[in-house]
Amino acid sequence: MSEMKEMILEVVERMLKENVSKDLVDIVEQGKWASDIWNLFVENGMTAVAICEENGGAGGDLEDLLNIVRLTGKYAAPIPFTETTLANYLLAYTNLQVIDDLATYMLAETPSFTLENDKLTGTAHHIPWARHTKQLVTLAHSTKGIHLVAIDLSQAAISPDKNLAGEPRDTVTFQNANVYQQSTVLTSEQIQTMTAITTAFQLAMMTGAIEKINDLTVHYTKEREQFGRPLHRFQLVQQHIVNLAGETALALAAFNNVTVALVAQSPLSEVAYARIRFEEMIQTVATISHQVHAAIGTTHEHSLQQYTRRLWSWRDEGASTFYWTDLVATQLLEHSGDSLWAYMTSCTNNSLLLKAQS
Amino acid sequence: MFQLPTVQFTEAQEQFRLEVRAFLHEELAKGTFVPKCDSWLSGDNPEFSKLIGQKGWIGITWPKKYGGQERSTIDRYILTEEFLAIGAPVAAHWFADRQTGPLLLRYGTEQQRAFFLPQIVKGECYFGIGLSEPNSGSDLASVSTRAEKVEGGWIVNGQKIWTSNAHLCHYMVTLVRTSPYDGKHKHAGLSQLIVDLQADGITVVPIKFLTGEHHYNEVFFDNVFVPDNMVVGEIGNGWVQGLAELAFERSGPERILSTFPLIDELIQELKRQNNIEGLKQASKVVARLWSLRNLSIGVAQLLATGNGDEVSIPAALVKALGTKFEQSIPEITRLLVQTYPTLDAQRKIDRLMAESILHAPGFTIRGGTSEVLYGIVAKGVVAQ
Repeated sequence: MSEMKEMILEVVERMLKENVSKDLVDIVEQGKWASDIWNLFVENGMTAVAICEENGGAGGDLEDLLNIVRLTGKYAAPIPFTETTLANYLLAYTNLQVIDDLATYMLAETPSFTLENDKLTGTAHHIPWARHTKQLVTLAHSTKGIHLVAIDLSQAAISPDKNLAGEPRDTVTFQNANVYQQSTVLTSEQIQTMTAITTAFQLAMMTGAIEKINDLTVHYTKEREQFGRPLHRFQLVQQHIVNLAGETALALAAFNNVTVALVAQSPLSEVAYARIRFEEMIQTVATISHQVHAAIGTTHEHSLQQYTRRLWSWRDEGASTFYWTDLVATQLLEHSGDSLWAYMTSCTNNSLLLKAQS
Repeated sequence: MFQLPTVQFTEAQEQFRLEVRAFLHEELAKGTFVPKCDSWLSGDNPEFSKLIGQKGWIGITWPKKYGGQERSTIDRYILTEEFLAIGAPVAAHWFADRQTGPLLLRYGTEQQRAFFLPQIVKGECYFGIGLSEPNSGSDLASVSTRAEKVEGGWIVNGQKIWTSNAHLCHYMVTLVRTSPYDGKHKHAGLSQLIVDLQADGITVVPIKFLTGEHHYNEVFFDNVFVPDNMVVGEIGNGWVQGLAELAFERSGPERILSTFPLIDELIQELKRQNNIEGLKQASKVVARLWSLRNLSIGVAQLLATGNGDEVSIPAALVKALGTKFEQSIPEITRLLVQTYPTLDAQRKIDRLMAESILHAPGFTIRGGTSEVLYGIVAKGVVAQ
């Protein structure tokens, strides 16, 4: 990563550290809206990163954006930053106009909405932050196929709900509501690429949360003493520290490689492998961190739960491990030739590698 | 410590990978070798090593004046991956290529480099690594094989153990005590000597591996004379010099791919059975492998560009995680495909299963036990 990028990320990290407290995350979980931190992000141009300048963007690239998303995961930032930026990224990907406002997305494998004469009808569940956002970007069926559409949420009936971490995941119903933007019919390859991009954003958030959990846990083993020694001096605790460090290092390496693959417009297999492996990481990281923190980590007062509950929520949202193992298994069966190694290391013959629309 | 570089192969590197692969497939078709699991330790075949040497693929990163190709660390990574993925017999020249060459380039004299490196790159000169002793396993600093100064050189007495392929090697880089053990400075007083394994006073005694195969040995030293010009680096600096080798030793593809031929055959078998549920389970293995490879190659890139200090912890981590993965493969495989493992089985997967099961216990022991590595990583993480 370039020095310039590192500087930008340092600034973002400082902003998050100074402005996102455990209490703020708690308050938002009670249903409030963190306008201050959102406004700070908007004022600093964060919501416009990776949108090209002719569309009112702030410059920066996808690597910057994904790393900012990673940092919002690392601080459990209680704002729909991922949702707004991803909604815009999907719009740009399908050659639609980006939105200069709070937005969210829903990219289910089978669209919940139908599109008829530019009117949207249907109900979708677990839409992130719907009650606090203005626009929804989602897939919809028409008689011709599947489209990406953008629609004003003021036309929706929104019933609030939440995930395991208390983040807003609302039920949204439209009845003949006006769609103001819609893409042409999307190919299944395009939808697959959009799913990969969406999963990459989720991996970014998960990576940030895993980093934070690692930090909290290592810190705790230094600070907490039992039997007259800090916890990290016990070999059995050291084993936990190493396994946690291992998963953290693997998560970061996987995330960084996903980012590179996404920038190179061939993300599918890299995302698939990473997402499948994150399933195991989340399990290990959550189990170890709670075991090391012991009783205090199981309290609402301790911040550990804000990260473990998010991981337990995020892993079941969007295209989960089921989707990706299914995809890899099918690809192996149909396209891997007679050598797994040749398949895994190939750059050109790999049918997983689909080019994003430029 | 966790932010490692990512690597994107250049077109030339992709071409190189295909070139190596094509060569290996050609030799495989000719019957030059039979693919094996754990081929970097148990696949010794001097004729094949010479063939590799003719291709210029030993010491590929070394200076041209010693017969090297001055290619990048990543090129070497690719080459090694291709050897291991197909299970080619690269054991004979392995340690000379991986460890001795880099050691001599860093600490050796010009005379040593000029003498040994050109022989190594031809695949004609093999090195063993003499570290462990009967009473010094994980606690390596306690080695007691000693060298005493005499006119023109050193007299070595003592014993090494677990020396892989010492019976095939020409020389052994041997860690010896050149001053008495001092409990307060236990890493001091150690030195590295190049010992000619044909020298008077050397006895190499096989230790049979649990399969009955002969890979490792005991090496006894009875008043063995080692001339002064065979001292590597500085007398007393052996511990530091040895540590420098470790990051290379610990983070390479051989810590991930020792059972890859079995993974590949597992996938082929599941495909033949049209077993999509089995492939879904196997996709987790592929995902684990890929994430480890990303980590390992990040360390390789850091080794090429960064400094040794920041590499040692992630390198130890790669070995601890990677060997655990390699070890798990036969246990996963046998629950996805019915096998009956024997070493001379007709069915390929049965044979690869047998090799994997029987070699797996060594993966997490050789080159530093997982327990030692865990200790290193934990201390490194806490010190951040």
